[in-house]
Amino acid sequence: MTFWRRTASEPDKQADSLPSLALLWLIASFALLLTPQLDRLPIWLIVVCISLASWRWLAQQGHVRLPGRWLRTGIMLGLVAVYLIRVQGSFTVDTAASFFVLAVGLKWLETRTVRDFYVLFYILVYLATVNFLFHQEIHWALMNIGAIALLFIGLQVLNAPELPGGMKAGWRRLGIMLLKVLPMVVLLFVFFPRMAPLWSVPLVSGEARTGISETMRPGDISSLAQSSERAFRVTFGGAMPDYRDRYWRGLILDTLDDGTWRQSGYESGYERGYEPDRAPGRVDVDGGVGELAPREYDVLMEPTDQRWAFALKGSEAASSNVIEESDDVFRFRRPADSAVRYRLAREDTAQRIPPAALKAEDARRYLQLPAAGNPRARDLAEELRRKSDDMGVVRALLTRFREQPYYYTLRPPKMPDNGIDSLLFDEKRGFCAHYAGATTFVLRSAGIPARIVVGYQGGESGAGGEYLIVRQYDAHAWVEAWIEGQGWIRIDPTAAIAPDRIESGLRDAVADEGSFLENNWMSAQRYGDVAIIQWASLQLDRVNYQWQRWIVGYQGQSQLNLMSRLSGGFGMRELGYLTAGIIGVGLLIAGLISALQARGGVRRDGHGKVLEAWHNVCGRAGVPVRSGETPAALAARLAVAEPVTADCARLFAQMINSHYYRPQSARDDNDDLKRLRRLLATMKRQLRRAGKIRTIMFWPAMLRPAMLRPKPHSGKHRD
Amino acid sequence: MSRLIRSRLQRWINRRIPRSDVQLLTQRNLFILPTTAGVMFGMLLLIMLITGINYQNSLIYLVTFLLGAVFVGAMHQTHRNLSGLELTLVLAGEGFAGDDILFRLRATAGKDEAIALILSADDFSVRLGHVPSGQSMDVNVPVPSAFRGYLQPDRIRIETRFPFGLLKAWSWMRPVSAGVVFPRPIVAPDVISTLVNGEEAASSCSVQGNDHAELRPWRDGDMSQRVMWKRYARSGQMVVAQWEADKGSPQWLDFNAFPGTDHELRFSYLSWLVIERGKSGARFGLNLPGQVIEPDSGQAHATRCLRSLAMWGEEKPRGALAEPHGTRRNVDSTKAAAKAGAGL
Repeated sequence: MTFWRRTASEPDKQADSLPSLALLWLIASFALLLTPQLDRLPIWLIVVCISLASWRWLAQQGHVRLPGRWLRTGIMLGLVAVYLIRVQGSFTVDTAASFFVLAVGLKWLETRTVRDFYVLFYILVYLATVNFLFHQEIHWALMNIGAIALLFIGLQVLNAPELPGGMKAGWRRLGIMLLKVLPMVVLLFVFFPRMAPLWSVPLVSGEARTGISETMRPGDISSLAQSSERAFRVTFGGAMPDYRDRYWRGLILDTLDDGTWRQSGYESGYERGYEPDRAPGRVDVDGGVGELAPREYDVLMEPTDQRWAFALKGSEAASSNVIEESDDVFRFRRPADSAVRYRLAREDTAQRIPPAALKAEDARRYLQLPAAGNPRARDLAEELRRKSDDMGVVRALLTRFREQPYYYTLRPPKMPDNGIDSLLFDEKRGFCAHYAGATTFVLRSAGIPARIVVGYQGGESGAGGEYLIVRQYDAHAWVEAWIEGQGWIRIDPTAAIAPDRIESGLRDAVADEGSFLENNWMSAQRYGDVAIIQWASLQLDRVNYQWQRWIVGYQGQSQLNLMSRLSGGFGMRELGYLTAGIIGVGLLIAGLISALQARGGVRRDGHGKVLEAWHNVCGRAGVPVRSGETPAALAARLAVAEPVTADCARLFAQMINSHYYRPQSARDDNDDLKRLRRLLATMKRQLRRAGKIRTIMFWPAMLRPAMLRPKPHSGKHRD
Repeated sequence: MSRLIRSRLQRWINRRIPRSDVQLLTQRNLFILPTTAGVMFGMLLLIMLITGINYQNSLIYLVTFLLGAVFVGAMHQTHRNLSGLELTLVLAGEGFAGDDILFRLRATAGKDEAIALILSADDFSVRLGHVPSGQSMDVNVPVPSAFRGYLQPDRIRIETRFPFGLLKAWSWMRPVSAGVVFPRPIVAPDVISTLVNGEEAASSCSVQGNDHAELRPWRDGDMSQRVMWKRYARSGQMVVAQWEADKGSPQWLDFNAFPGTDHELRFSYLSWLVIERGKSGARFGLNLPGQVIEPDSGQAHATRCLRSLAMWGEEKPRGALAEPHGTRRNVDSTKAAAKAGAGL
């Protein structure tokens, strides 16, 4: 059990002393921490990390040797070179995170001493932190925290290789500790002031996000239709709108150029409302937590790395992190690189001000067309124009879509030249983007200002019907046209061609074709007809939604809202004081508890207690123990004072002595203790009979006044 | 300046921890500080907090607070590892100068179990694993010795870094009892004792005709007087006679037998001689200025002689609260007292 060593032993000696078990926990934690990154990390890096960690483990087992300094340096330089070649100078948070992972991997080869172990511990904790930047869902969070827990188990093993009670005790110890400190953590989390970022840290990841983009070629959206990733979730203060009214407007495309629709005015890089000076540059992810008014709705949007926000038509901003722009679309101040929650309110339709006339420059903008191309579509427009007014053109066009055999399909044919002509007159098969583009083209050709709106349409109810989940396959494109006297009205050619798409969603619209999520085997939505999968997926989503809403999204605005509800006048400064107060009180309570426990901890082993009790008995019999008196001496004095107890006292003293001075192995403590107690009881009985003490009181050990004074030597002997 | 601070600190600690053979670790005498690893951990938390602020990431806040709270919890746990533990000096060891003297300590855990304890004196440390609550465990702590005399370790440190090594809690024990350090044996030159016992001087092994001699080959360290020189002249073999007569005629080991030699060196010589005599089982007595140990033989006698060599002229150290309990002698007398009490 005991061995000794010189403390100042050379570090090499300690190399072997890293307990294998501790290392194993560390490696397990590393594996767990890599899991959330698997989709982002290049394959070669994962392979490198696994092999480096395995190398370290095999070395621990003695199968191989750890590389020497030169080999290690070589490996390091080699891998860093590979990394640099792969990254090719594009430095984002994403590549930085990859580099960090590489650094962790390389550190495995250097983990020889206890100090290295700690370094690895720190960087793994930080790796968990980095993971939180990219994944915030509840299961990833639990995985990260679990990995940190593994690290702490590893530390326990490192500090006590023979870990008493085994792993189970280690986990229990950690668990109890966490439970004890949990209230403190919760208080800090709620009250710690959420400051503005100290400096600008853009979180632009290099990875391409699934979602709508700022340009639209016909076919873009149909590829999006193969993804069942979440786009955003909405909670309504009042009733949810009908399915057919769930048009989530995102951005407006008004310029057709070489078959591609794009936003005008955004090409130069200038974006209205963008405030590059406003330090520091992060999107405000928190839209506040107040009660939702009946007209209000909360949108929790997944990161898009774009500035647009999705809104129903006729909404106004209710939270400060979205701003309304001229085209009735909403924007964030910064690209949404994390999940953002914002709040909007639907305007009262009755109070809507009748629109004024379209400004000349806007009219020009919404009538823009390429000089040439698609002659048959232009002819069609002219023909319709001749017959009727603006509204008539729109109606005629929609009637054409409804009555002629146009098909809504996820497998549109390729239409390279004069795409709109071939869609309208030859193929007659397309997706929403095709029809929206063609409709806008025809309307503009007929002199009606028109624009394409890209966003989402639809959304299924989450578990319990509390909120709406809008997924990428709900992506949609439709048209808005300016009709004199009515303003911008929505025209959805898809509604004319495939009413199912608008009434109940893409699944039903392409049910005959069987193309719904055909390339997406993993998606739970693909198996929407299997009730149990659907149910499980929705339940998971509900948990994550609440998690995201209340925990992940708990930032400055929510905090201030919450605080203002507690009592008036809670600002940042008060929060700061409050936090300091919480920490102070927490430490004070911890100190008090440990003081009380220490007082309790003074309680001795069984023999000490019995001796203490005997001293008390002697005291009451008129023979108080003197400082440092041996039991034998006390027994002798007691025997003189109270001869009846002489034998018992002597035996008692003898037993106490032999307890303290006999070799440890020869003891039978429990038996001893029983006999001692019996002796004590006998003495008390004898004294009582002699009338020396009337009542025998068993004070609880804690309350006994003698215990409150430190008596380091009681129970020990002096000649 | 730093020396001044250190000596101040030293005095403060000594006041807080009086010399005693029993040390109950409580808040009064326990110290706790973060280790280097703990300080680094604190810096890590700071970096994590800044990351959380800059990326406005609630989960990073959460984890930072969680780890901070774990640190506080670890403080509690580390403190509890030692708090309530009772250290008792069971046996102060004996040994030769220059060797490590073993002090046997008994650690008795209080209400909480004590985990991963490390005891150290000077630059020796001993890992004492884990003492379950209410039980006790013995451990030998080596204390290096330099000179003959009493060895009272200045401080024996008990430390734990469990559970995470981020904090260390420690305390000292300052035992009253002293170990006994015998003079380091040095091969003594051939000498003649000045003390003559009757007709027979220790050297005058006039042994011819003594049939009770046991002969054995010469080995290193045998005194030249005892070599059978005549036999050597005959056969060329160095043979030593071990005389029966030796047992009857005690040899005296004499402090004054080394005139002109430094006192400490004399003790070393005597120490060597005592060991030699003890080995051979010869009868011998020890003559020190002011102290005479009558001739006897056997291991106990040799030890007794060594002790008086160690203690001669040395003051028995006493602590501030002079309570000389715990040494062997006192244990013996306590037992004797107990026995006496029982005999009443």
